Amino acid sequence: MPDRPSILVPVRVLDGESIPEGAPELLATAHVVLLGYHVVPDQTATGQAKMQFEDRANNRLDRFESGLEDAGATVERRLVFTHDGQKTIDRISDRGDILAVLVPNGTGPPADVLVAVRGTAGVGRIVDVVAGLFRSTDVAVTLYHVRETNETDDDITTFLDGVRARLTGLGMDPSAIDTRIDPEQKRLAAIATAAEEYDALVMGESDPSLTTFVFGMPANQIADRFLGPVLVVQREASQSESS
Amino acid sequence: MGDQRFGVETGGENVVGEAPAEEPEIFTEEATVHDDETELERTIGLAGGLAIGIGTMIGAGIFVFPGLAASIAGPAAALSFAIGGVVALLVALPTSELATAMPRSGGGYYFVSRGMGAGYGAIVGLGLWLGLVFASAFYLVGLGHYASAVLAEVGIDLGFDPVTGVALLLGVVLTALSIGGTENTAKLQNGVVGILLTVLTVFLTYGVLDALGVFGSQGTPGVFFSQGTFPVLTTAALVFTSYLGFAQVATVAGEIQEPGRNLPRAMIGSVLVVTVFYVVTIFVATSAFGAARLGQFGETAMVEVARNFLGLPGAVAILVAGLLATFSSANASILSASRAVYALSRDALLPRRASEVNLRFGTPHVALLAAGGPILVLVATGRVELLAEVASFLHLVMYGLICVALLVIRRRNPDWYTPSYRIPAYPFLPVLGAGASFGLVAFMQPASIVVGTGILVLSYLWYRYYASEVSLRGAI
Repeated sequence: MPDRPSILVPVRVLDGESIPEGAPELLATAHVVLLGYHVVPDQTATGQAKMQFEDRANNRLDRFESGLEDAGATVERRLVFTHDGQKTIDRISDRGDILAVLVPNGTGPPADVLVAVRGTAGVGRIVDVVAGLFRSTDVAVTLYHVRETNETDDDITTFLDGVRARLTGLGMDPSAIDTRIDPEQKRLAAIATAAEEYDALVMGESDPSLTTFVFGMPANQIADRFLGPVLVVQREASQSESS
Repeated sequence: MGDQRFGVETGGENVVGEAPAEEPEIFTEEATVHDDETELERTIGLAGGLAIGIGTMIGAGIFVFPGLAASIAGPAAALSFAIGGVVALLVALPTSELATAMPRSGGGYYFVSRGMGAGYGAIVGLGLWLGLVFASAFYLVGLGHYASAVLAEVGIDLGFDPVTGVALLLGVVLTALSIGGTENTAKLQNGVVGILLTVLTVFLTYGVLDALGVFGSQGTPGVFFSQGTFPVLTTAALVFTSYLGFAQVATVAGEIQEPGRNLPRAMIGSVLVVTVFYVVTIFVATSAFGAARLGQFGETAMVEVARNFLGLPGAVAILVAGLLATFSSANASILSASRAVYALSRDALLPRRASEVNLRFGTPHVALLAAGGPILVLVATGRVELLAEVASFLHLVMYGLICVALLVIRRRNPDWYTPSYRIPAYPFLPVLGAGASFGLVAFMQPASIVVGTGILVLSYLWYRYYASEVSLRGAI
């Protein structure tokens, strides 16, 4: 049995962002690293913003923290004043123990979760996140794969069966795991479309930088069309350092 | 460099009952950590640090001073700039050591107040703020000269000398932009500095080749010490304003990534880069025209040098470069002045309100106005040389005291003092740095010395009145 998966939840704490509805339920069995950050313009010293806004930010984080804890999560929190929000999220998510990052879109309590899987690389961490979050819940997960060039049906079946076996090996109920395979097409667009039928999306980090993924172009594709929360599973620390 | 624990304890209250803000506990390479898990992200890399240093400095030395300096010192003005560079380097090394031990915003003020106590801190801090105000005013007047030269170039005659008016207008625009602008000014600054260095490298390379006779006509070098040797030193004191930027890197020390590595490189590197550019510029300029004629062209002499080499396109390139350079120098100085006000206010040496952040723009409007307001008053005087010298005076006093602070702290050797960069040739180097800084002051015009000393005295009186109970010195 793995420990609680560590999930980073970045919140732009003073600009009206908050923990969306449904997220505490989604993360009920996680160890949440709650990152409140506030982006200040270059003209302003970060310490200057801290002097003025620290109390207000902490009040908001207190509320978020108790909301997450009430749902069952353990919470570790950080408050960062920064000129560059992406750099801050990168730094915290790169510290090694973070398995996934939540893009905090709203949702109801999750019942069906789409899990996009591509190949064996990195799938171990996706499995850890999914099993860690959902094995003791009623959530149904759907393993989703978009066919790639030169892949045979056998390849895909073998791969997805392997993932399913690892999930059940970690305590997931086999009946809670479904699979879905779509024909070859643009992968990100396909994920975004498929996710519309689900309450939340789990997917791997595929770009070198997590943040271009979360907040850059592919994220727009996903977030514009899929308004639920997205859990972006981090690649291994050693992998991301060598890239 | 691993994580660095920090042990400065501040205390006391000022006259209205404000205490200095808490000191941070740990410096890491990427953040400053206060207790209860609040962090300040470090976001400026080596390139950004160099851009602050070079961007602040290069405007004055190349685009304002060559004509003035050559008229006073002759071709030996190149030596004046070299002397300025050596003095700057003598201070940049100790500043680097202190900055790696205390990578917090406030720069020289912070080191002196933690090393030597609140009294010296107040003198240096208020002096730094006003020194930057004088420097900004000086850059703005330079900018006014370039804008006027542009008007003259396109044939617009306003019927009066527009320098001061343009400078005032741009001062208002700049302050307003700093308060209301939320675009990424740091990236803009990096780009401007990159463009400047490219333009200057092309121009100076051509100029050097020309001066050496590659293009057929030998330059007109004249006698090196045409005005004697003494004016070389007074000119060094005057043009020292061209070397104020490296310490601005230290005013944002709290925001520099991997401070142990990047702070020394940015400060020392920017001094070396601009020194080379300055010396070559003076060599090229005096070779092209001879010092006397160059002096007649005044603040925009470089435009005429470029016209001489490359015709109208050259003149236009240098005009544009001059506008960019003086604008970026003025902008960087206003922002640094605002950081200085914040550092003082954080330590209760100025009212806490002075570091208030605007809720709409997220910018420190009070501190920026505390910089922009006095700048306009000074610009209105239009006295380039006085502004430059007072700015240099106030900075040189700070530089001297930075060297003294290093000596004091190294002698006391407190537990928390663990710089990752240590200067060579201790204690000779800081002693020499302090001596050179204070010594250069002696070569300034009497008026500048009087104004500068007056500001120091008023700063000390303010401290006695407002914050004599505040203690800032690091524990032993």
